[in-house]
Amino acid sequence: MQTTVFEQLNETVYEEKLPNGLAVYLVPKQGFSKTYAVFTTRYGSIDSHFRLKNGEEVHVPDGIAHFLEHKMFEKKDMDVMHEFSRNGASCNAFTSFNRTAYLFSCTENLDRNLNLLLDYVQEPYFTEASVEKEKGIIGQEITMYDDNPDWKVYMNLLKAMYQKFPINIEIAGTIESISHITKDTLYQCYETFYHPANMVLLVVGSFDPETVMKWVRDNQAAKEFPPTPVIERLFPQEPSAVAKERIEFQLPVGLPKCLIGYKEKADGLTGEALLKRDLTTKLVLDIAFGTSSSLYQKWYNEGLITESFDFDYSGEKEYGYSIMGGDTPDPDKLAAQIKEGIRQLQQAGINQEDFERAKRKKIGLFLRSLNSVEFIANQFTSYKFNGNELFSVVPTLESITREDVEARMKEHFVPEQMAVSIVRSASPQE
Amino acid sequence: MSESVKEISFHTTALNGINVHIMPTAKFKTTTIVTMIEQELSEETVTKTALLAMVMKRATARFPETKQLREHLDFLYGAIFDVDVVKKGERQILQIYMEVLNEKYLSQENALLESAIRFVGDVLSRPYLEGNAFAEKYVAQEKETLRKRIESLIDDKMKYANQRVTEEMCQGEPFALLAQGRTKDLAGISGESLYAHFQELMSHSPIDIFVVGDVEQKEVEAAIGKFVQLDRKDVKQIGPTKAKKQVAEERVVIDRLEVNQAKLNIGCRTQISYADEDYPALLVYNGVLGGFPHSKLFVNVREKASLAYYAVSRLESHKGIMMMMSGIDVKNFDRAVTIIKEQLESMKQGNVGQEELEQTKATLSNQFRELLDSARMMIDFAYNGVISGRKRHLEELLAQINGITVEDLKRVAAQVAIDTIYLLRDKKGDA
Repeated sequence: MQTTVFEQLNETVYEEKLPNGLAVYLVPKQGFSKTYAVFTTRYGSIDSHFRLKNGEEVHVPDGIAHFLEHKMFEKKDMDVMHEFSRNGASCNAFTSFNRTAYLFSCTENLDRNLNLLLDYVQEPYFTEASVEKEKGIIGQEITMYDDNPDWKVYMNLLKAMYQKFPINIEIAGTIESISHITKDTLYQCYETFYHPANMVLLVVGSFDPETVMKWVRDNQAAKEFPPTPVIERLFPQEPSAVAKERIEFQLPVGLPKCLIGYKEKADGLTGEALLKRDLTTKLVLDIAFGTSSSLYQKWYNEGLITESFDFDYSGEKEYGYSIMGGDTPDPDKLAAQIKEGIRQLQQAGINQEDFERAKRKKIGLFLRSLNSVEFIANQFTSYKFNGNELFSVVPTLESITREDVEARMKEHFVPEQMAVSIVRSASPQE
Repeated sequence: MSESVKEISFHTTALNGINVHIMPTAKFKTTTIVTMIEQELSEETVTKTALLAMVMKRATARFPETKQLREHLDFLYGAIFDVDVVKKGERQILQIYMEVLNEKYLSQENALLESAIRFVGDVLSRPYLEGNAFAEKYVAQEKETLRKRIESLIDDKMKYANQRVTEEMCQGEPFALLAQGRTKDLAGISGESLYAHFQELMSHSPIDIFVVGDVEQKEVEAAIGKFVQLDRKDVKQIGPTKAKKQVAEERVVIDRLEVNQAKLNIGCRTQISYADEDYPALLVYNGVLGGFPHSKLFVNVREKASLAYYAVSRLESHKGIMMMMSGIDVKNFDRAVTIIKEQLESMKQGNVGQEELEQTKATLSNQFRELLDSARMMIDFAYNGVISGRKRHLEELLAQINGITVEDLKRVAAQVAIDTIYLLRDKKGDA
């Protein structure tokens, strides 16, 4: 077991790569009551086209990674959720574009809960009958998202930005696409993506690391796995131009919603370079659009934006984009003002004081987020998948200069890579 | 490894008419400072207080422009500052939330804690005024923001349905009001009347300040004494929330909107609230019925009948209301209501197995122990004790939960009655 101490943060990470390929990370939190464990596979909604072990190329139905996540809870002779309840744990799972995570939190019975987590995710049990029954439940989940204007405006923006890359499909799929899922397609995906070598186990909270690592080693040593497969994902080449400049959709809302996105050129960055780009872009966004920026204050005072105005950046190896926007009485005006605001900022540059303040803010907010075991658990794994260390965020942030931020601002905001998504009510009365 | 704390325990002192509650703990990297200002939930003041929350965020005497104020907060390593209103039973609580990094995580010398308390003091006692009024420009802008916020309730169909059923159930009771108030009141509020309301609250409303973090009690008290200076006198006693109301008859209310999924919300009266002896039994009752994935609603509405993705029940502990919620296809309305009623009936019959009772006690206890890892949730727990007049201790509550029997649940069930069945559905089809 390898130990890394992050002195400035007062955090320690224990890690070990098991013989079956599973990477295990333990982050004990002094004085905390609960422990949170996440078992994650590098498999999400974008992994819909890949090659099987025998070389055969397959396209699986949209939404299958999420469907598989639901079905992992079904077992032959027990109910996983009831079992967690018996041990006093609260369990959950989620599927994103590029990963599926199974998790629980508990304040007692960590050994039993951890073994249960490892066992249920590593023992699939699918039947045709239970697959059919799940279609009703997931159908209602999809319908619920269809009524959610914040989700709709976000997904439509991805559809506007991406021509080919499968981030433009709904994570849960559609009622039509999930109708094609069978137990066999589920097993096919499971066998391809749930090998321990494609997974990470992370435990954060109140425990002794030596003891917990031994539990995990023993659990894994008692199971047999096929040899480590080579996973070949078949992603389409995404052009740099957007699919559509603008998508508009109708749903009952109080005020129209408008999001503006800039698509990153796919350049395959990983590790330190990816982390630095991510943090630099987030600094750019905060300086340009944060609550203390001139633009935010001007738009707020004019009533063009509300407190819902927000922005974020997402940068992965295969895709990346920035998003900004919120509720507004005049979506087209907001989109035009954002575009113009960026152009002016690109010309004028950033002053040193604004830059230093944004950096201080970012450091403070990052340290604050380490109060949350959920945050650590979820972020730590994402960072690992990209070849990074969550606890190295502060030194990387400190290394960023004003020149980096200015250069990034010019590089990222390219008008041809911008798209707009709008959701508004059908009629003003609504 | 240091022992984790097992109890939510604040040291309370009275400082210049304000109750100051401090909990020193080294486990967080920040210090959380929450000020709670309590008043009755009433038609006369609900909108004013909601608007006040927004205007208080805009400026102080030291930072007359919002940009300066936000820059100052960012400079304090991204200090979190928010002012909001929440409804707890028939009380409207004005909350001033502040969270600042603990200095020990910084290499340079920074008096962040003192700066944060000074800032809270600015907001409470040194507002930005023009004459004897809040600045008209901020009042006018925030009226618009508040109006938009109230109108945007419709964006989240779950919240919207919840508010609608509450309005229908509690017609004529203060609890029907939204914490953010009513758009129709906005026009009648001026910068002057708003400032008069502010002064009224700062002088006469009960005020509690909670501080959680790696702090010295004496140091915090000294800073609050220095920076938070209010003209406190004749502090009001706010009466208890009325949780007891017999249901005359079960009502059905249907609203129509352009939605794909229908929202079914069923509001029940339990006659039991936070201060009551039977409150722990009510917690377990709600847990067995719909609090968890092993609960009756989840198992029967979702797992067995495949009617819904979510099917839960939630308590409003001060008002004694239990809300059952589910998202369904409208064609399954009758079936879902029948299944849900069967679960209530099954609770009445005491049809609760040892297994589900134990699961509920274990998961409920886990939920309460998890509060210990969040400063905000610990403050909320302690504050529920303040406003209900019954201070609960975590260890004691856990022991009470553990002692609940099926007989206790039957006693609770006998008092639970459906008040209103509410359906938010699409505009297609027949009524």
